[in-house]
Amino acid sequence: MSAEVLPDTTADTVPRARIVRRILGRYLRHPGLSLGLFVLVLLSFVAIAAPWLAPHGPTEADLMNTLAHPSGEYLLGTDQYGRDILSRLIWGARISLEVALAVVALSLTFGSAIGAIAGYAGGWVERIMMVCNDILLAFPGFLLALALVAARGSSLENVILAVSIAYTPRVAAVMRSVVITIRPRPFIEASRAIGMSSSRVLLRHVLPNALPPVIVVTTVSAATAILAEAGLSFLGLGVQPPTATWGNIISDGQGFITSNPLISLSAGLCIAVTVIALNLLGDGLRDTLDPQMRRYTGERML
Amino acid sequence: MLRYTARRLLLMSITVIGMVTVVFFLLRAIPGDPASYMLGDYATEESVAALKAELGLDRPVWEQYLGFVKRALTGDLGTSVVTGQPAFDEVLESIPWSAALSVSGIIIAVLAGVPLGVMSAVRHGTFADLFVMLGALIGISFPVFWVGLVCILLLAHEVRLFPALGASSSQDFFTQVHHLMLPALVLGFSVAAYIARLTRSAMLEVLGQDFVRVARAMGVPERRIVYRLALRNALIPVLAVIGVTFAWSLGSAILVEAVFSRPGLGSMILKAVFARDYQLVQAGVFVLASAVVLVNTSLDIVYGWVDPRVSVS
Repeated sequence: MSAEVLPDTTADTVPRARIVRRILGRYLRHPGLSLGLFVLVLLSFVAIAAPWLAPHGPTEADLMNTLAHPSGEYLLGTDQYGRDILSRLIWGARISLEVALAVVALSLTFGSAIGAIAGYAGGWVERIMMVCNDILLAFPGFLLALALVAARGSSLENVILAVSIAYTPRVAAVMRSVVITIRPRPFIEASRAIGMSSSRVLLRHVLPNALPPVIVVTTVSAATAILAEAGLSFLGLGVQPPTATWGNIISDGQGFITSNPLISLSAGLCIAVTVIALNLLGDGLRDTLDPQMRRYTGERML
Repeated sequence: MLRYTARRLLLMSITVIGMVTVVFFLLRAIPGDPASYMLGDYATEESVAALKAELGLDRPVWEQYLGFVKRALTGDLGTSVVTGQPAFDEVLESIPWSAALSVSGIIIAVLAGVPLGVMSAVRHGTFADLFVMLGALIGISFPVFWVGLVCILLLAHEVRLFPALGASSSQDFFTQVHHLMLPALVLGFSVAAYIARLTRSAMLEVLGQDFVRVARAMGVPERRIVYRLALRNALIPVLAVIGVTFAWSLGSAILVEAVFSRPGLGSMILKAVFARDYQLVQAGVFVLASAVVLVNTSLDIVYGWVDPRVSVS
């Protein structure tokens, strides 16, 4: 709609393709961002191609070769049931990325909706919504997720749900603090003055402008979600064995940490590489998207 | 100032009541019948009915809720179905263990994280900055329980510097401290990483402000700018950071306690979860979350005193 009213000044001077290239270039020149993105693309490939990449099944037990040290057959050795560690790590990538993706989707949707409505509505609606949000925020995120999983039972779905419930308030808090800085800006007032409905202003103007900081926050929340899932699985409350998850593998290897340290060490490294990649991506996006947003993100995410 | 303090306290009470509500619904979130789930498969019908009556599950929800809030606010958080002891007493017993771990972890984290963060902001863009930030990135990215396992492997098995267990039955103070050191270091390391990152960005923001540029233009020595002007102004966000990381460190402490088999609130909650002792879980979660609110409210009030700007806005 606005495109019809306003003349598109950029179209005459610079071809669109060059603008796109320039914007992409700005992101890709950031070393942390491109490294993080590269690692994540690679990991997603591994996760998707797990059935073809893994040399053995994730739960395939070779009882003649339990706790084997690395060999040509088992590149990273086997665990106490003779299951191939490498294959379990590859399959574990699926669970971790699935959790991260689902938590991001859920907390981004609900968190930004709650935050945007509260921030845009203002007044009592905002106050009540934010008091409820602050109550959930007061719980240490991991503790809340743990308590929810404990009550609802341990399964992949419940882990995703619990971690999302624990981290949605964080996204909502960031969204609201961004929206209240956008609300008084002249273009919002102008949209209202020409008779746009509230929901339309919210969807067309407020949300797109508020998204960058929220995207940064959700990238960080993906990292936190992976750590939370690993922690829950490590405690035996997450995805149940024999399903291969990185947290489960660390906990399997815990008893053999002196004789077969590779089991726990390799799984921990997998988690760390993924989380580092997500944090690099988040830091990079924060630096490139909008330097102003440092204020909103960071401390709110813990 | 008084008004500000009163507001914070009012907000704190609202939050605590809200947390009681969340904890109340936690037990009701158990699918099916919580009472028979808690007692396991071999429970007799009478015992299930007795527990139901005790939990008030046979009454309407709003009545259950009001009763729960009333009892929770007087410190009655139900009884443990396993030991028969009041849940609150069980929680109280494990608090000293958790407090020792959390407080020493936070102290280590602040002592390491704040100076490192300040240094890397002052030397923004140098190798020292890069080095500290890489270390901090590693600190926030490795799972804390895994770092614990590696430390046990390296510092307790290979080099026998620390005991592998995070607690000892000995009453001797120094033995206890010796056992506490490794878990506290592990917890402190991961919290320090957060504090360093957030201190750095708070400090960078202050260093970029106009009054710092004016001071520079006037020829104020750099040392004076950093320590007298910037650090003072960055201290308020850093205090806030410590408050937020406290909540986060309590979550990590659960995992640290599990790795080092150390008693504490986290271990107690875990044990209760596996024993399906939900009233104890409720009590533990409530007390941990209340500790967070208490610490954050006190910090809020402290920086209201320190920085008059906070209490005005």
